[in-house]
Amino acid sequence: MLPGIIGLVMATEAVKLLLDIGDPLIGRLLMYDALSMKFRELKVSRDKNCPICGEEPTITELISDYVEFCELDHSESLANAAD
Amino acid sequence: MKSTSQIIEEVKKEIPEVSIEEAQKEKAEGGDDVVLLDVRDEDEYRAGYIPDAVHVTRGMLEFSIEDEVPDRDKRVIVYCAAGMRSLLAAKSLKELGYADSVSMAGGYRDWSAAGLPTAKDKEMTPDQLERYSRHFMLTEVGERGQSKLLEAKVLLVGAGGLGSPAGLYLAATGVGTLGVVDSDVVELSNLQRQILHRTETVGKPKVESAAETMTFLNPDVNVVPYNMRLSEDNIIDLFNEYDLVVDGCDNFATRYLVNDAAVLTNTPIVHGSIFQFEGQATVIKPHDGPCYRCMYPSPPPPGMVPG
Repeated sequence: MLPGIIGLVMATEAVKLLLDIGDPLIGRLLMYDALSMKFRELKVSRDKNCPICGEEPTITELISDYVEFCELDHSESLANAAD
Repeated sequence: MKSTSQIIEEVKKEIPEVSIEEAQKEKAEGGDDVVLLDVRDEDEYRAGYIPDAVHVTRGMLEFSIEDEVPDRDKRVIVYCAAGMRSLLAAKSLKELGYADSVSMAGGYRDWSAAGLPTAKDKEMTPDQLERYSRHFMLTEVGERGQSKLLEAKVLLVGAGGLGSPAGLYLAATGVGTLGVVDSDVVELSNLQRQILHRTETVGKPKVESAAETMTFLNPDVNVVPYNMRLSEDNIIDLFNEYDLVVDGCDNFATRYLVNDAAVLTNTPIVHGSIFQFEGQATVIKPHDGPCYRCMYPSPPPPGMVPG
């Protein structure tokens, strides 16, 4: 049942964007915990160093392999953690 | 007792009139500071209206104007078909505190006869007018909003746990074109949550099963099935076809791919994900708010992958 709640939040946001009404969840991460039945909201802001939407983007076209990116990036972050 | 023409003459002394040319110029120069208010009936409005006009029927004026025009200090240019009802409507507006209300002489009739720009919403069939009638009661939606929805194109990434409820409601709402991308087939273990699919569609491609369910629910919706995996090779062309992406994918590689393609094509994404008993949702409007990479610069370790 959990996906139903989140899926309907998504559908509602989609309709709001299409109609340009209300306050969409831009810059806000809505978090829901079914067991405690609580919604929380985290404010999130743009990262000026973001590699794709920051001031000096390094990603200007799609990278070649996203599956690899998800695996490689992990091994790098593990290596960093080990440092 | 007064005759109608006497009443009109009296109101004319009180309410200034502007010509169609003046109205057009004022709106062009004033932008949001000038409200063009259409007070004609629904069927007249449906046949065509002045672009950017706010529509409140004469009958609902006193009840709805505050929602549509909260700022009483705005310049309001009221029009009807020929300039009579608009005079009376402007008078009511003045009494409600909209001090700068005027009436457009000649009305929509003269405006369209002069060849000035007009707009027309997508025409709805009698069935559509009935199907979406509850939407028309919401001032934020109305007939114009419904027309926008019927002309909108939304792409669902994934017809699984999140895509199912989102897709069902978007179909019910009357979003005109719903693309669905998924490369999986329906499995029995999906059915406990993926409500687009049914016992009898087990074994079928998910996009086919989804298209069937959404079309049964609302035949207005043009469902476009993409039985494929989103990839670096097909995503940009696909996103360029749609106004908005609803991302209910189940893996991080696709999530980053979707994010990057959305930023590169400037397509808004509604993002959602779930893991066990927790879920999250946000809206990514490229260059307007943070993107997925701003929030999650690197993917989590494998094994932590939500579905």
